Amino acid sequence: MGIAEFFQHLMNGLTLGGIYALIALGYTMVYGILKFINFAHGDVLMAGAFIGLFVFDWLRGSAPLGAWTIIAFFLAMVVSMAVSALLGMFIERVAYKPLRTATRLAPLLSAIGVSFILSNGAAWAFGTRSRKFNYPFDNTPITIAQVVITPHQILILAVSLVMMIALKLFVDRTRMGKAMRATSLDQPTAMLMGVNVNKVISMTFAIGSALAAVGGILIALDFKVYASMGTMTGLKAFVAAVVGGIGNISGAMFGGILLGVLETFGVAIFGIPTGLKDTIAFGVLILILLIRPEGLLGKVEKEKV
Amino acid sequence: MKKSLFVLLAVLVVFAFPAVAQGGKESASPKIGFIGPMTGDNANYGVLSNNSAMLAVEQFNARGGIDGKIPVVLVTEDSEGVAEKGLSAIEKLSSSDKIVGLVGPVFTGVSFAVGERVQNEGIVMLSPSATHADITNIGDYVFRTVVSDGLQGEVAGTYFANVLGYKTIGVLYAKNDYSQGLYEGMSASFVANGGTITIAESFNVGDKDFKTQLTKIRSANPQAIYIPNYTAEMAQILEQASQLGMRIPFLSCDGFSNPDIYNLAGDFTDGVIYVGPAKVKESPSFAKFVADYTSKYGVGPDSFATNAFDGTNILLAAMDKVYKATGKFDRKAVRDEVAATKDYAGVSGTINFAENGDLIAYQGLYKVNKITPEYLGTFTVVDGQLVQID
Repeated sequence: MGIAEFFQHLMNGLTLGGIYALIALGYTMVYGILKFINFAHGDVLMAGAFIGLFVFDWLRGSAPLGAWTIIAFFLAMVVSMAVSALLGMFIERVAYKPLRTATRLAPLLSAIGVSFILSNGAAWAFGTRSRKFNYPFDNTPITIAQVVITPHQILILAVSLVMMIALKLFVDRTRMGKAMRATSLDQPTAMLMGVNVNKVISMTFAIGSALAAVGGILIALDFKVYASMGTMTGLKAFVAAVVGGIGNISGAMFGGILLGVLETFGVAIFGIPTGLKDTIAFGVLILILLIRPEGLLGKVEKEKV
Repeated sequence: MKKSLFVLLAVLVVFAFPAVAQGGKESASPKIGFIGPMTGDNANYGVLSNNSAMLAVEQFNARGGIDGKIPVVLVTEDSEGVAEKGLSAIEKLSSSDKIVGLVGPVFTGVSFAVGERVQNEGIVMLSPSATHADITNIGDYVFRTVVSDGLQGEVAGTYFANVLGYKTIGVLYAKNDYSQGLYEGMSASFVANGGTITIAESFNVGDKDFKTQLTKIRSANPQAIYIPNYTAEMAQILEQASQLGMRIPFLSCDGFSNPDIYNLAGDFTDGVIYVGPAKVKESPSFAKFVADYTSKYGVGPDSFATNAFDGTNILLAAMDKVYKATGKFDRKAVRDEVAATKDYAGVSGTINFAENGDLIAYQGLYKVNKITPEYLGTFTVVDGQLVQID
């Protein structure tokens, strides 16, 4: 394998990983606070992609590619983030909050139920055929030293990076972030100190769902929009969160990128058959659970969200 | 006691009525079945072919139906392109609808499963699109109005080697019977004509990301890439190849003749050369079929839909003959009548079946200009030699 091919695979892996990381943040935030895995997260991503698609197509009309389509795209993204945030808060209120004092298994099962309701509901309402999410910009690839990069890949990396840094700043520097960290450490004590725990939890779901919507739209540009799009992507992002150390924001970013690169290299360089591509992520999951169950970055940072 | 008796009676009445109603209807109208993907990513294939079956039955009934007096009923079942769903569909059609014959299934994988069933049940089956070479080897009740991959692969391999002059080809195929069958057929004759398959990469059905495989193929640097798949995957492959800056020519199969590819892939289809159905000489029956179809459904038929129209008509004609001779619809007699089809003037051309139920046929070659396929000619392979018909 030449150097150029190596870097091409690396680039493909990094962009895949950027998306995993973005989605993993949602899992990790909810887990950090509630110690519960929100299995409906991937389906919120799907809902976000559909909303983004509808808003974008409506705003764009038949306009040719240009400044307006890019503005329309980001507007669609903002609307989709807002609606998905509301959806996330709604799901939490209806399906998880009443079960907060129940056994730990109850909200988990409830989440799986929500996941099925969302994906089957979308299949019923929008059909099961893939829909094309048109690029809002000219996606002609750029070649840098024999490595080909598309504007879309740059967008994925840029948006993921910005979102992750913004989230990190939010959690570390703002009052709300502090309240989140407090809730994560010890809920009853945080409540005694005057933290509105219900509000914090709602906020957590809102942010996580908004990030999922961004991930959904970024994926949709490449892989189209369809009702079951959240299932496998959601699972992979979940694995990424566990690999990085669930409950840990930096861990989710690291785990996501690592998983994307491992999947690409596993097939391209280590010669794992293409048919087994999806098993790489889950193989890594089992390995991590056996060797280092707290995740790769699990103990390096104490800070949790 | 009285109450439970009443309940029992009510239940009996409820069950008895539909049975009577069904029993009465059945002798009046014979049923034929259709199985294809009506929902899901590949629904377009099923919907277009089912339209043809509906159109053929409607026109047949408008002409008076069987023996000028009995209309035929078409029952459509959705397979979603999945073998298990296809099996439950044939189960229902066979035991509950008591069909005389079956048009479909549309996909090769489903046809393998359903074919075994119709063979056991003794129901004649005419697939408009199951192209795998082994489909008709299931048994004597399995026919098809589409060219076997055996021929498609042979024409593809010899054409790529001898006419296009390629020495090296890379392949990206899906792990399903259709795609793998075409890949193996093409590569056998391509190699026999002096070519080399430099790299063959595969993927699972439903995959959306092909960048890893494409990057590997690019490094192997073949002169062209053969992608025998369905539209959803081919659109992804073409788009991602362009994103990787690949300028290698793409070669494809009859799956490319579905116009949905141009909605999904747009301009990326430019320059693709594919083996598809041979073009019929602009016969009046073909023009009329396209006009009828288009005015009724608002879209034109694809090649499989054209085959489905012929298949349905052959089945209906066989049923008509059998009924006139015997006064009933014996499944075995209908099968024999289908097998005896001789020089049937279908809209896709003259139809004859080989001994094994295969269509005796030719292949067409197409090259896409932007989003419009242009016809390159009609070919067949005789004793390993490529022959151009016109």
